[in-house]
Amino acid sequence: MTDTCVYGGDRDDALIAYLYDDIDPVERARFDAHLGACARCRDEVRALSGVRRQLAQWEPDLIAAGRPSSLGGPLRRPWWRELPAWAQVAAALLFLGVAGGLANLDVRYDRNGLSVRTGWPARAQSVAAVPAARPAGTAPAPWRADLTALEQQLRTELRAAQASATVVAAADRQATSRTTSAGDSEMLRRVRALLDESERRQQRELALRVAAVLRDVSTQRQADLVKIDRSLGAVQNNLGVEVMKQRQSLNLLYRASQRQ
Amino acid sequence: MTSTDEELVARSIRGDADSFNELILRWERPIYALAYRTIGREEDARDVCQETFLRAFRALPGFRGQAKFSSWLYRIALNLCRDWMRRQRRTPVVQAPENVDLMDLAVAAEPSESIEDLVARKDLTRIVEKAMARLPEEQRTAIVLKEYHGLTFQEIADLVGCPLSTVKTRLYQGLTVLRRELGHNGKRP
Repeated sequence: MTDTCVYGGDRDDALIAYLYDDIDPVERARFDAHLGACARCRDEVRALSGVRRQLAQWEPDLIAAGRPSSLGGPLRRPWWRELPAWAQVAAALLFLGVAGGLANLDVRYDRNGLSVRTGWPARAQSVAAVPAARPAGTAPAPWRADLTALEQQLRTELRAAQASATVVAAADRQATSRTTSAGDSEMLRRVRALLDESERRQQRELALRVAAVLRDVSTQRQADLVKIDRSLGAVQNNLGVEVMKQRQSLNLLYRASQRQ
Repeated sequence: MTSTDEELVARSIRGDADSFNELILRWERPIYALAYRTIGREEDARDVCQETFLRAFRALPGFRGQAKFSSWLYRIALNLCRDWMRRQRRTPVVQAPENVDLMDLAVAAEPSESIEDLVARKDLTRIVEKAMARLPEEQRTAIVLKEYHGLTFQEIADLVGCPLSTVKTRLYQGLTVLRRELGHNGKRP
């Protein structure tokens, strides 16, 4: 037996054919005889058979569970998967826009922080009904009454505009537009003021917290220093006692040596 | 008495939809398994499987029976897998869940299999999948067709369009790489 293979012919081809038993009988007998003499080929056949045994155990769950039976449906991809990416993005944005509109999406940032609200609240029949609909315990926003009044004013003006002549109506609409733009700038001013106030409040809170942390650190430091001071004092006392004892011992020794 | 593939194909060509459905039922699992083991992604393998039968249905009138129906289907599926891999421009990534849920495993367990055996089998499956995914496409295809579909060397050569000796070489090289990979993973063959 030798570690050097001397198989006459394409050894790798023969080995694979032998391994899979996809080999003609003459070639098989020849390779069989070779295996008896070649330790290297014998080892390789054994090792590759082991690999095949491991491969035989590879049965992914998806296949084992018969997942392809889900093909029983139509043999087509969903139509939307055939669309180009830009069209899918556009469709998604359109859907979000329509959904937001239908859900009456309302995003606000006020003194209570950011709030997102959807849904169509019951319409107030009168100005007086508006505060009643507000949850109990919630302080009314300072500008809410102004806004409601503005809304009422606009409605009145619009009704008046419809009743009057066309020219007058056009003039009224211009006036209404001016009023609306004035209302918008007022609203912007108020939002900015609210944001500024919120920012100032956060800065105050941050400063307070930093001060509290510094105070804690300082107190702890003082306590640690006192503790260290006491410990050092104790050590010094102990050392003093030791030094005194040493000195007494030395004196005794000195006197004894003087006597001799 | 069950009809042969050739009989079902002939009836399908004459417009018998049930016969083609029968062919789908008969071959969807092997085709899906081929696609999954070749590209390693569940959803894409399902797409490849669907597309294979769709193309086969469209091309059925032109099928003259020069090759076996199964070989013809395999060729379509392999071409689709190859296209997929070209589009992806990368080797397949096998979906191997990292955190295996024992409850899920227990559902998938064979009645005679203990949970320990099951976990060991899953572990081995993951290792084999990863090792297979590292093989070059030609070697992986040859091994999948030989190991899991039992094709002869000649059938594989006809399918992939290369000489018979090349098929054997790819198998030898692939198995040798797997031997090394599986050995590194502590699964001494």
